[in-house]
Amino acid sequence: MKARLAALLLGAVFGVAMSWGQFVNPDRIRDMLLLKDPYLYLMMGTAVVVGFLGTRLLRRYRVRALLTGQPVTWKTDKVSPRYVVGSAIFGLGWALADTCPAPIAGQLAQGAFWSLFTLAGVFIGILAYLRWQEGPGPERVVLPQGLDPRTR
Amino acid sequence: MHDFLLQRPAWYVIGILVGLVTVGLFAFINERVGVVGGYSQLIERATHRADGLSWKAWFLFGVLGGSLAFRLLAGGSTVGDGYGWLTRSFGSHAYGAVGGVLLVAGALVGFGAKLARGCTSGNGIGGSSVGSPASLVATGTFMATAIAASFAIRAVT
Repeated sequence: MKARLAALLLGAVFGVAMSWGQFVNPDRIRDMLLLKDPYLYLMMGTAVVVGFLGTRLLRRYRVRALLTGQPVTWKTDKVSPRYVVGSAIFGLGWALADTCPAPIAGQLAQGAFWSLFTLAGVFIGILAYLRWQEGPGPERVVLPQGLDPRTR
Repeated sequence: MHDFLLQRPAWYVIGILVGLVTVGLFAFINERVGVVGGYSQLIERATHRADGLSWKAWFLFGVLGGSLAFRLLAGGSTVGDGYGWLTRSFGSHAYGAVGGVLLVAGALVGFGAKLARGCTSGNGIGGSSVGSPASLVATGTFMATAIAASFAIRAVT
């Protein structure tokens, strides 16, 4: 429960950052993607530097996570095609809508009507992915008569 | 207070805030920041693929709550009028065209982020902060694709 509360509060700070930095504004994102405004790149660069230094310090001093007691650690992932293909698909969607998952939540909370469409799209995309991952269910596999264990 | 919040602060203010959220998640619960996982959990819960909601969903609820609190404190929206290039190109009452593009774009965002195991925050900030090679490649890819696609959109609109 405490872990959820921590996530809720840190998420709230993240939401304030998205709204205050105007990452919820599609025109701001478009200007950044058209290389007219470096704000997004400078913000992300700063965040990564702070994140990099902070996480290294936590690990170096063998800090244990305050609420779970685990030593602070992480896994890194090797490059594989899914990261390139998935990110290319994601990038295309980002450019079309000029928004991504955190700002969509910010737009919705700020009462932006159009975000309902993007939100519905995100849910459809995730559901499509989950179904694709699960593959055809056993009920969809057509076996010749006599081989299907359910009808034998 | 209103003007203060409705003006965009210096980039490093938001950068430091977002960086501290990344560090905070490790310091409190040893997890890597990410947002698309929260949406995914809601879907998995609603379709009985999962039983409960973990920190990821609560982080997303936090983003919603924080943005709502910001909106109330600021006394105005920072989303802007209409919806960017879409309502400028198709008109502010073109619900089919604008909504259709946003629906498709959202689906690409959702599917792509699940396949790439992260979105702008999960790969771009969380994964990059811990130096994950896959996240660095993902970030380079979605940045390059989005920049190229934005110039292509501008060329045809």
